Amino acid sequence: MPLKILPKESVPLFVDNLLRDYEVIGPLRKDGFYVFGSVRSFSDMELDYPITIYPAKKFFLPPRESLLRFKTGEKVSVEPVVEEPQPKVLFGLHPCDLHSTWLLDAAFLQETPDASYEARRRHTVFVGLDCLKPCDEYAFCKDMGTLYVNGGYDLFLTDIGDAYAVDIGSKRGEEMLERYADTREPTPSELKRLEAAHKEKEENFSNRLKFDIHNLPAILWNSYDSPYWEELAQKCLGCGSCTLVCSTCYCFDVFDKVELNLQKGERIRVWDSCLLEEFAKVAGGLNFRPSRVERLRHRFFRKGKYLTERFGKVGCVGCGRCTRNCLVHINPIEVYNHIYEEQQKSAA
Amino acid sequence: MKPKVAIFEFGCCEGCQLQIVNLEERLLDLLEVVDVVTWREARSEHQDGPYDIAFVEGSITREDEIGRLKEIREDSRILVALGACAHLGGVNCLKNFMDQDEVRRYVYGDKAEWFPSIPARPLGAVVKVDYVIPGCPIDKEEFLGVVKQLLLGKEPRLPNYPVCVECKKAGNVCVFEKGLFCLGPITRAGCGARCPSFGARCIGCRGTVDDPNTEAHREVMKEYGLRPEDILNKYRLFWGYLEVAR
Repeated sequence: MPLKILPKESVPLFVDNLLRDYEVIGPLRKDGFYVFGSVRSFSDMELDYPITIYPAKKFFLPPRESLLRFKTGEKVSVEPVVEEPQPKVLFGLHPCDLHSTWLLDAAFLQETPDASYEARRRHTVFVGLDCLKPCDEYAFCKDMGTLYVNGGYDLFLTDIGDAYAVDIGSKRGEEMLERYADTREPTPSELKRLEAAHKEKEENFSNRLKFDIHNLPAILWNSYDSPYWEELAQKCLGCGSCTLVCSTCYCFDVFDKVELNLQKGERIRVWDSCLLEEFAKVAGGLNFRPSRVERLRHRFFRKGKYLTERFGKVGCVGCGRCTRNCLVHINPIEVYNHIYEEQQKSAA
Repeated sequence: MKPKVAIFEFGCCEGCQLQIVNLEERLLDLLEVVDVVTWREARSEHQDGPYDIAFVEGSITREDEIGRLKEIREDSRILVALGACAHLGGVNCLKNFMDQDEVRRYVYGDKAEWFPSIPARPLGAVVKVDYVIPGCPIDKEEFLGVVKQLLLGKEPRLPNYPVCVECKKAGNVCVFEKGLFCLGPITRAGCGARCPSFGARCIGCRGTVDDPNTEAHREVMKEYGLRPEDILNKYRLFWGYLEVAR
């Protein structure tokens, strides 16, 4: 795709121009940490940010949303709720967060597309921002193959010092750049700087996984009966935080809420988590994952095996948010390495 | 026929009933669907049982209350514990860990002998409680939710997941990340993580989830600098009647 140069001094104007027609979501500070939030001007944003506590998924998959409204009584009616979304720009998403959007799309847009998700997603423009060095001690993106992006954005910025090299990923991105930003063609020296940035990036990240990621589904499968899961479950609070801050978790619960007159109501979708006791509870009260150990193991299998086999891409992008938020320090890289080493030992 | 509802109280501040009063104009909608026949806090008339639903606030702290509660139970098809005191014994159970005579003298002064109080206990320690609306105070929306479920003939269900879930959905920075400690990881949700959302910490007023990993939680609290006796004190604020805080 064509490349443009956006001088850093032109970024504020670019963002402020976008704000005329879009809601702009970018990395903001909150209580000393970073979150994605709505900005009023470029100055609210901090593009040189490590990692946000929460991913950007809530902007197309909100924690709570209405799916339909109904009326009972003599005249029964059911009316789907599909929000008319505001056009949004997600500005400054790192490669891992762009990859996770691919996974959410795979879940919500393939087979039976979800109308609300689809509408929000269609109205969202993605401006990515490359990571040239690890953002956080817990990140393991390189191991999950998400350090580099191949599409999945409208624009993608790489810091080359006093400017950003902008890779145009879509027609929409190209038009947006023309309309709202002051860009120019790259000079040969800028192209060299971009190449140097890429090279430096490659050197800055190291692998932490002790085996080839393609073997993860098989390694997990072989660990099914390992006592290690029980050991981990002893530590696990079962609080679900890991899944709620996860950028690729999308499981939800649906329930009906009626008004006091019992005549009207709405059907609501809320985020759910496979770590929670009621997640696998079905009619009649049966729970097919009644213990914490089964739920914990399922979480890892879901990411590293089930989704991987279903979508052809690991269900984890290595952002490390789960580890950062885990009060008992359960870390996927350590878990994967542990079961791998356990199997190496027993094979020896 | 509208179901007959009665609201009663034992040892408590009656703040949970105040939450129902706080429904204000929505009280009228409530009265469209139920008949509140007894409610000392909000109406002067009283009607004897039987009742379809009794909401009972407060914990049991005197011998004579045991008989009264049993009568209410007999009179009521459904009995719902209203708030932390009725559900867990609540803050009233703090006195259970003190010298009982001293507590009585502290509260009733030279009339202490007129008030033969007993260690505080939740309603469930005396009679069968059908449903619970937790919290200190209760959340009025949750109260309405329970009323609606009962009117629909459904089982009112409480979330069986911890406050962390709602705290994350609210987009808060974790209380522990701020260097403080919190009972949220093992406390039953349903409050919308109200305290952490307003910069405070969860103190456990809704009780624990069904199967809390308290051992793991104690380890976390230790890591944040709390001694075992500090942790026990935090647990005892609302959970004094539970095994975990003994």
